[in-house]
Amino acid sequence: MPMEGIKRGDTALEARGITKRYPGVVANDHIDFEIKAGEVHAILGENGAGKTTLMNILFGLVQPDEGEIYVYSEKVNFRSPLDAIDLGIGMVHQNRKLIPAHSVIENIILGHPRAGNILNLKRTGEEITELCDKYGYKIDLKAKVWQLSEGEKQVVEILKALYRGAKILILDEPTSALAPPETKKLLASIKAMTRDELAIIPFITHKLPIVLTVSERVTVLRRGKITARLATAGATEESLAKEMVGREVIFRLERVEVEKGKPILQVENLSALNDKRFLALKGVSFSVHEGEIFGIAGVSGNGQQVLAEVLAGLRKAEGGKVLLDGINITHSSSLERWQMGVGYIPSERVEVGSIGDFSLVENVAMNYYFDDDFAKHGIMDHKKLRKLTQEFISEYDVAAPSPNTTAKSLSGGNLQKLILARVISRKPRLLIANLPTQGLDVGATEFVQNKLIQAKKEKAGILLISEDLDEILSLSDWVAPIYEGELMGIFPGGEAKRENIGAMMAGLKQKVEVI
Amino acid sequence: MKLGNYEVKLEKRLELTAWEAATISILAIFVALALVSFIFLQAGVNPLTGYKEIFTYAFANPFGLPLTINRSIFLLLCTCAFIIPIRAGLWNIGMAGQLYVGALAAFAVAFAFGAKESHSLDLSPGIVIPLMMVAAALGGAAIGAIAGFLKGRFNTNEIVVTMMLNFITFWLVPFMIKEGGLFMGASGEGEGFKLSSSIYAPLIMGVPFTIFIALGLAVLLYFLFAKTKIGYQIKAYGLSPAAAKYAGISSFKIPLLVFIMGGAIAGLAGYHYFAAVPGVYKITKNYGDFGDLAFYGIICGLISQGNPLAAIPFALLFGGLTNGGRFVQGKLKLGFGIDYALLGVLMIILVAFQFFYRYKIVWMKTEKEK
Repeated sequence: MPMEGIKRGDTALEARGITKRYPGVVANDHIDFEIKAGEVHAILGENGAGKTTLMNILFGLVQPDEGEIYVYSEKVNFRSPLDAIDLGIGMVHQNRKLIPAHSVIENIILGHPRAGNILNLKRTGEEITELCDKYGYKIDLKAKVWQLSEGEKQVVEILKALYRGAKILILDEPTSALAPPETKKLLASIKAMTRDELAIIPFITHKLPIVLTVSERVTVLRRGKITARLATAGATEESLAKEMVGREVIFRLERVEVEKGKPILQVENLSALNDKRFLALKGVSFSVHEGEIFGIAGVSGNGQQVLAEVLAGLRKAEGGKVLLDGINITHSSSLERWQMGVGYIPSERVEVGSIGDFSLVENVAMNYYFDDDFAKHGIMDHKKLRKLTQEFISEYDVAAPSPNTTAKSLSGGNLQKLILARVISRKPRLLIANLPTQGLDVGATEFVQNKLIQAKKEKAGILLISEDLDEILSLSDWVAPIYEGELMGIFPGGEAKRENIGAMMAGLKQKVEVI
Repeated sequence: MKLGNYEVKLEKRLELTAWEAATISILAIFVALALVSFIFLQAGVNPLTGYKEIFTYAFANPFGLPLTINRSIFLLLCTCAFIIPIRAGLWNIGMAGQLYVGALAAFAVAFAFGAKESHSLDLSPGIVIPLMMVAAALGGAAIGAIAGFLKGRFNTNEIVVTMMLNFITFWLVPFMIKEGGLFMGASGEGEGFKLSSSIYAPLIMGVPFTIFIALGLAVLLYFLFAKTKIGYQIKAYGLSPAAAKYAGISSFKIPLLVFIMGGAIAGLAGYHYFAAVPGVYKITKNYGDFGDLAFYGIICGLISQGNPLAAIPFALLFGGLTNGGRFVQGKLKLGFGIDYALLGVLMIILVAFQFFYRYKIVWMKTEKEK
């Protein structure tokens, strides 16, 4: 292994002319990339720009059609990730590849060549603790992975790579699932690692400011090609976003004033259980009117998911009432609610909002199969559905080769656009948007937010649930922070103070009685 | 892997055309037959002679062909009974039990009309035969509904439930047909009573009319899954129960429905074999063998990837091979079980070759290393 004698400034990894074609697309078109030991070199791109392909090529999961890879100036040919790992490349996955039932230490040594048949957990433990001290990680090695927060799981993945001897670390969306304090810790540890001549490659689609603070160089991908290669020092959030999207992006959305109408949704003292059968929603009351965005701000796991599911008819209410246009729908099925004009955009767009093995047409049918116009006498009108899908694809600018492609081949942003198109096209009276922009790149986020504003203009009542405080504050007419299943107060959007709402989301401030 | 100047690589298939799927299956059949040749060789028989005997008997012999067709109808019905739930992601392992109950229900109708009393009773076939079939379908559906209800209401594992129901119904049959049983035959030798000849199922060129029911159901199911709202809901539930629930598809009704439909078709398979096949017309002593045969419906359904039209040739092939294999075993004085060996190898190879549904082998000329 070329581990010893690495000097700062040595070229750690170099890719020359990497090209990978898939039927219909060139995922990577002659990508040149280089990183030095002790450097952080970020790769930026929207969903579908070819980042994942490039990452998989650098980690040996995918073989390029053309191009060469050099690790410490030696030409390499990865047949599998094992080859890449042996050469000191480590990968920290966005979708964590850990075994939840095993402890931290067991996960770290899993697959390590020294693990053998008999585990020497004591010695391993000492070595890992040493690594932790060096880079400032704090983690209980005996804890089971399922007990850990997202940030802690990420630490486990980083430690796993480091323990395996990684000198080049690929980080896939490192900050996407982290709470602000965890992000801070991660950045500090990245700094510490670069001091030890590690080369770090974060792949990023959103949360651009973080990129700026930590990396020295940035390479921007768009549609499989490199559009910019620049030093971070001279870049701004706006300039990077422009390179990624290919046009100017507006970061601040204006709240649109729409004349307030009748109440659409009235929720009275609603409570419900979560999957573990604990009371996760504890008697919330609020109402949403026509032409209004009601924003619920909360860190995930505080009952907002349960609330969305109860309103969509996917979960039983334990107590309280839900009225839609004055009609009690507390016990209506989800199908009845769809037909009455409730539209739900779920946060789990892959598992719940779409069916991966279905074509786009069949996915569109998810909200139309019950409509007599599209399924007369029980026979589906595929022609009409296909036409509708085609319209969605062009109107919402969904990057898909044809309506017959499977949903699983779409990137997250494109899938979300399709779901949005499908739900909004039903012209719902009440639109429940649960984390509608989570994980989306700048371009798609802007698009989704504009569509919500448009629905508001068309007199829909919108319940927006988000973890992104900026999004909530800039879009909502009313802001309600949620903490441990209770609304901490309801504030007019224009007057809500960021610090105040943030503190309430974190449970640091007392509940305010609603006027 | 490198072979001379070529590099052989496995590549993921992005799509599979019906034509490619058929080619792969046919290739698998040839490979399986080649492998089983060793059994023939070991017994001192020329494999070509062996296969010639099997296929001529199964598909071109005046005695063998009807047997093949009767078995194939039975298999096709069992396959359809498996396919409907599997499209909803649920495993029907209970075709055996469903067909036993279907057969008992059909004979209950005949019994009610007094068919047990006299073999020569003149009954109106236009009334009794449809009633027998409806009863068979209802009987199978009732047994299937138990598994579907438990799945939908309590999320009970449907494999365990259908399997256990097989055991219960397996012993229900002798309770009805053996000594003292209500449906006991005249000889009292563990067989059910024989149907009156007036209500034998009509034959068309020697083939029971149930062939049209089986083929018709296969076509109908194909249409159901391709075009209808119900089929769409079943498929959506099968691919992602959570997404189906989101779309307003009932996670109670779908499991119940698919097991009722599957059970009804399995019940018809029971009607077919015991009430429509010439020379049978009673619940036989070896009814259990047909329960076992029903399990081939699972393999058939899996190989045809849940496509009821693709299941037709496979049902015919399996029906023919079980039949011809048994024949050749006697004629060429081969060891016991050659028919099972042949089917077993064939199924393993067919399932193994499904690998090529997802991957293809690519040959590439290698460039000399610089």
